[in-house]
Amino acid sequence: MSFTAPIFDIQRFSLHDGPGIRSLVFLKGCPLHCSWCQNPESQNRAAVIAFYRDRCAEHFECEAACEEGAIQRDGFRIDQQKCTLCGSCVEACPSGALRLIGEQHTPDQLMEKLRADFPYFARSGGGVTFTGGEPTLYPSFIERVLDLCSTESIHTNIETAGLFSLERWKSILPKFDLIYFDLKLLDPEQHAHHLGPGFETVHANAIALSEIKLPIEFRMPVIPGITDTEDNIDAVARLLQQMGKPSIHLLAYHNMGEAKIDIIEGSQPRLGLARLSDERLAEVQNSFRERGIEVLGNDG
Amino acid sequence: MLEDVMSFETRDVNPLALAPGMKWTLLRKVIPFWLNRSLPMRAFSLRKKLKYAGEQLNALHFVINEAAGVAHFLPDYTSLVQLGTRGLRTRIEERLARGELPHDGKEYLEASLLVLDSVERFADRYRAEAERLGRDDLVRVLERVPRDPPQTLREALQLIWLFQLVIQIESVDQGISLGRMEQYLYPLYREQISRGEINDDEVRELFAAFCIKLSEVIPLFSRRATEYYAGLPSGQALTIGGVDAEGNDAANRLSFLLLDVMEGFKTRQPNWHARIADVSSPEFVRRVSQVISSGGGSPALYNDDVIMPAMVLRGNASEKVWNYATVGCVEPALSRESFTSSDAAIFNLAVAMEWLFGNGQPLAKDSRRERPWLREIHSLDELLDRLETQTSERIGQLKTSLDAIERAGAEYYPTPFSSLTIGGCIENAIDSTRGGAWFNATGIQAVGVADLANSLAVIDELVFKKGLYNLEEIANACATDFKNQELMLARARKITAFGNDDPRVDELANRVALLFDRCVSQHSNTRGGRWMPGYYSMTCHQGFGQRMAAMPSGRLAGRPLADGLAPVDGSDMLGPTASLNSVARLDHTRFGNGINLNIKFDAATVSGSEGCATLEALFRGYFAQGGMQVQINVLDPAVLEQAMRDPDSHRNLLVRISGYCAYFVDLTPAMQQELIDRTRQRAR
Repeated sequence: MSFTAPIFDIQRFSLHDGPGIRSLVFLKGCPLHCSWCQNPESQNRAAVIAFYRDRCAEHFECEAACEEGAIQRDGFRIDQQKCTLCGSCVEACPSGALRLIGEQHTPDQLMEKLRADFPYFARSGGGVTFTGGEPTLYPSFIERVLDLCSTESIHTNIETAGLFSLERWKSILPKFDLIYFDLKLLDPEQHAHHLGPGFETVHANAIALSEIKLPIEFRMPVIPGITDTEDNIDAVARLLQQMGKPSIHLLAYHNMGEAKIDIIEGSQPRLGLARLSDERLAEVQNSFRERGIEVLGNDG
Repeated sequence: MLEDVMSFETRDVNPLALAPGMKWTLLRKVIPFWLNRSLPMRAFSLRKKLKYAGEQLNALHFVINEAAGVAHFLPDYTSLVQLGTRGLRTRIEERLARGELPHDGKEYLEASLLVLDSVERFADRYRAEAERLGRDDLVRVLERVPRDPPQTLREALQLIWLFQLVIQIESVDQGISLGRMEQYLYPLYREQISRGEINDDEVRELFAAFCIKLSEVIPLFSRRATEYYAGLPSGQALTIGGVDAEGNDAANRLSFLLLDVMEGFKTRQPNWHARIADVSSPEFVRRVSQVISSGGGSPALYNDDVIMPAMVLRGNASEKVWNYATVGCVEPALSRESFTSSDAAIFNLAVAMEWLFGNGQPLAKDSRRERPWLREIHSLDELLDRLETQTSERIGQLKTSLDAIERAGAEYYPTPFSSLTIGGCIENAIDSTRGGAWFNATGIQAVGVADLANSLAVIDELVFKKGLYNLEEIANACATDFKNQELMLARARKITAFGNDDPRVDELANRVALLFDRCVSQHSNTRGGRWMPGYYSMTCHQGFGQRMAAMPSGRLAGRPLADGLAPVDGSDMLGPTASLNSVARLDHTRFGNGINLNIKFDAATVSGSEGCATLEALFRGYFAQGGMQVQINVLDPAVLEQAMRDPDSHRNLLVRISGYCAYFVDLTPAMQQELIDRTRQRAR
């Protein structure tokens, strides 16, 4: 039995997504479409050939390599209708301006790639963090990888926005050593406007997970003018108190994700926001502390 | 000296002030006297002299450090602090009385007595000066040492400093290393503490003062030599930690005090080195990590569990290797009894490719298009064979020069004072330059392992596997610095380089390293010891690189080679764990003369308790996989500014942004500037 999942990056030596030295596994696909998405290339499940225009040296080796005729010199476009994602152009491009984003992996293939850092996980209390995208889209795949990690005593962690079927995940979630659950916007209308579907599910899942006493920690992305309003901070703090989990990680917004929108010809509109300033972050931290919420570290 | 005598004071690198009138004395007396009496002049016939001078003044193939003298050993300070000069004298006299002396043995032992007299008189003059200045404390110390065994730490350090100074005057101020100070001074420390004569603060202060004295040693290098050895290194290594004779953790209270000095008092010398073993206590390893994360790159770390077997492979007795210490930059040697000439020469391994392409001519001067000798090479194995033949020949040339220099040294420049402190010399009644030490060796260093491995990976892929080019085309592109060959250059640079945890190219690097090992290890020196390979470059990777044409790896003409055994700057794209895994893949048990691996982090990544834990996990994970040595630099903002100006050399520089790490060169200029400003704030 082999399940696969599309992975668009494995980032080694990550220090800020759980304890110790970790490898982040970015799974492709997400039911939400947050307006501030930092990884726009992760939203669509389907693989895509990404084009990094600034690296292109115009050798057009890709054009010669493509058997489908999907590469058009004029305007440097890849015809996504014709592209079969065979990767010949990626192989042929001498400048590394093309990348296949979202390669399918089996659990064993993924483990093989993660294995290289086991010596460092073991000595730092680190391990593997599943992120994305929304990793909960791939329950069978993740469950298998969790079992493999557990036989090797590797610490595991997941970063989820909370939109998943509790029914399907109830038996898998206890296998994680740590769960990072994002609370983004607690107003249904705001959620619908900025994130998309699933407000009720996210809310219910947060409460359900704290009730079954899983090792869960909540996080909030601090997006200037969107999630850092007094109302939202209030609502988040209230929910945390209600769940008996009075602590939160704050993730400061940076706008580096916007550069990636073009690369995948994504349609995400630009927010045009500046990076969250250190001063503003400190203010938000204080707002939480005033409401009796501990602000957790390890997020810069 | 002659090159720089007029410009010592005005040169831009390492300017040195001269006392009034000194310049004339140098020009009229000192230089003329030594011009024909220096080692290389004594070593070669006239024709060979000219060839040698040409070779060394513009070194491309190798730099012979032994031409200045051997130095590079661990004086037996363990015996010295037990004996004092009186005890040494008794030893020599007993040996004289025993007879059965080799040829020249009597003269050698008499010379030893003479130099002992000299050092005692030197100390007496020093004491007289102290009296004149009213320094009663110093006068009291000098009433006991150097003649009698020291009773206090201060007396021991004074005695050691006297010897350290005189050895560097007699031999050459390179790599006279202090060994395991915290081990051989511990008995004195313990006694003084138990008698209540001293407290830990005073001990720290004593060692800090000792560090200042060590830093006063400034090698007199010409501007040209500085290209190969920037930063006025004198290489006085001081080793702490490691294991004891039973294989248990040897770190003691004094180790921790020395770590305090390292952290709180950053001086140019000594070279602080810490031995780490699997059995090292968590407290010791944690404290070492803290000191590293405080910046300054100290201490460098040495893996007992790899170094000791590597030393046994080179003929060191397995029951003795627990007591190794480091010499100079990185070279492991047996304390008290070895004379390993560990920095005899630094050899350009990477130039083999250029030599092969040019059929024995430097490529830069070579505009040929036809290179029929390359047409006979059809596989990677054949290419490696050619490179080995070629390297072996140049190693042979190096051996001819080095042997001549060694013989001249033994004939004209014996070092009886240094030999007093090298186990075996008195017993054998033979000077260290003539093989009197119990254990002899010669260390030859390779530079450019990563560059050569990457070049092989490129050739394998583009020529042997894909058939996109033939070797002649690659050679011509290197000769013309890839002019009009942008496509080839881009293809070459896209191929995975050493340092990305890719077993294929890492295995090529290992083959290159072992090729060098075979070429070196077949030779012996004139002192009855074997040659052994080391892999470090000081700053020769720049000196050599400046004089070289482009390489198939995509390294352009004149660019530096890779530093030590590290991946090429900026070529390791997957972060430090991948990079360390690649290096650990090499068979370090063969690298008897040690390696150097420099890695860099920005201060934010490794500061604080979490940062220390990260550092510790990194080097322990690397050591567990067979890594031998690592030196971790914590960057200051100035380095980030360099990275802004020269992104290509800093592609692997990882920085912390709020909540995650990123490659510095991947950031926008504005973001880069912001980080620099932030680091500046933190760095005070």
